Amino acid sequence: MSLSLPEELAEQIEHILAELYYETEAECILLADISGQLISTQGQMTGIDPVLIAALAAGNVAAMSELTRQIGEESHLGSFLHEGDNKGIYLFNIGGSFVLIVIFQINTLLGLVRLLGGRAAGQLHALSAQFEEHMNQPHSIPNADFGAALADELDQAFGELF
Amino acid sequence: MFINWKLREINLKIVYYGPALSGKTTNLQYIHAKSNPKIRGDLVSLKTRGDRTLYFDFLQLELGQIAGLKPRFNLYTVPGQAYYISSRKLVLQGADGVVFVADSQTERLEANVEAARDMAENLHILGFDPQTMPLVLQCNKRDLPGVAPVSLIKRQFGFTGAPCLESVATQGNGVFDTLKTIINLVVAQAQQQL
Repeated sequence: MSLSLPEELAEQIEHILAELYYETEAECILLADISGQLISTQGQMTGIDPVLIAALAAGNVAAMSELTRQIGEESHLGSFLHEGDNKGIYLFNIGGSFVLIVIFQINTLLGLVRLLGGRAAGQLHALSAQFEEHMNQPHSIPNADFGAALADELDQAFGELF
Repeated sequence: MFINWKLREINLKIVYYGPALSGKTTNLQYIHAKSNPKIRGDLVSLKTRGDRTLYFDFLQLELGQIAGLKPRFNLYTVPGQAYYISSRKLVLQGADGVVFVADSQTERLEANVEAARDMAENLHILGFDPQTMPLVLQCNKRDLPGVAPVSLIKRQFGFTGAPCLESVATQGNGVFDTLKTIINLVVAQAQQQL
């Protein structure tokens, strides 16, 4: 799957995440695709690695989806909750293709996260049809020498190790 | 591949595949140990108490701006043990390129063949064509006595178009060459799509 996210779609996603962030007073919100690629973020990322969180959350949701499929559940719209001592994580499976991640302080109203997170997941699910349109379509890249420039950058980054 | 035009990021996913104990995690450990901390994230391993990969290892490499885009490579390993087939398929989702880490020891040739078959099946299920997907064969553990000839491993692997590199991942030999080869293949493939 190849996905190119145009700016206008990115802004619609940001708007949904921002609304969820302010209404729930969550610490941060992330959106990833099911392969673990980070798509968008909102909120405080201090002390966390959003790319890593996206990869782990996607792996978690993919595994949970397979687990639920094994017990006869075919829905791709489930949610999963972890409540820790200080923080919690709510993961929303969006159509089996994307994952909404809400990280919140434990004093946050959990019911609000569940309710508004579910609403945002529904809005993102509706938008995912537009995502699909951008999958596996030819994209444009500003510089045709990207490959050569990248090779130079790799040589600089790892040159002495090759 | 995921391109975010607002953030001008290009994200590519590379998966290290292969039989159990062939050295997939060792590749990532070496890359992590030797890379500049400014361009790499933490190496995260979801493993058993016995240090065997349970789900995947993950390492992120992020280079500076190139042609107005910031490339980010997300490196994953799969668990090699046969009964983790479902996990391997999940990790392979959305992969842009695969490094197949083969164990060069003669007694592990059958395990290589089995893992290559398993990889091809999973790629097909996920809608990839293993013949056209960026794929690199790494023949690891070349320092051990009595290893099989590379030509034999390559023939048994079956994907003749895949570049083949020799390595001793525990010492780092061939690790970065393999990484650079798969990155170049992935980017060349991406440019064809772009």
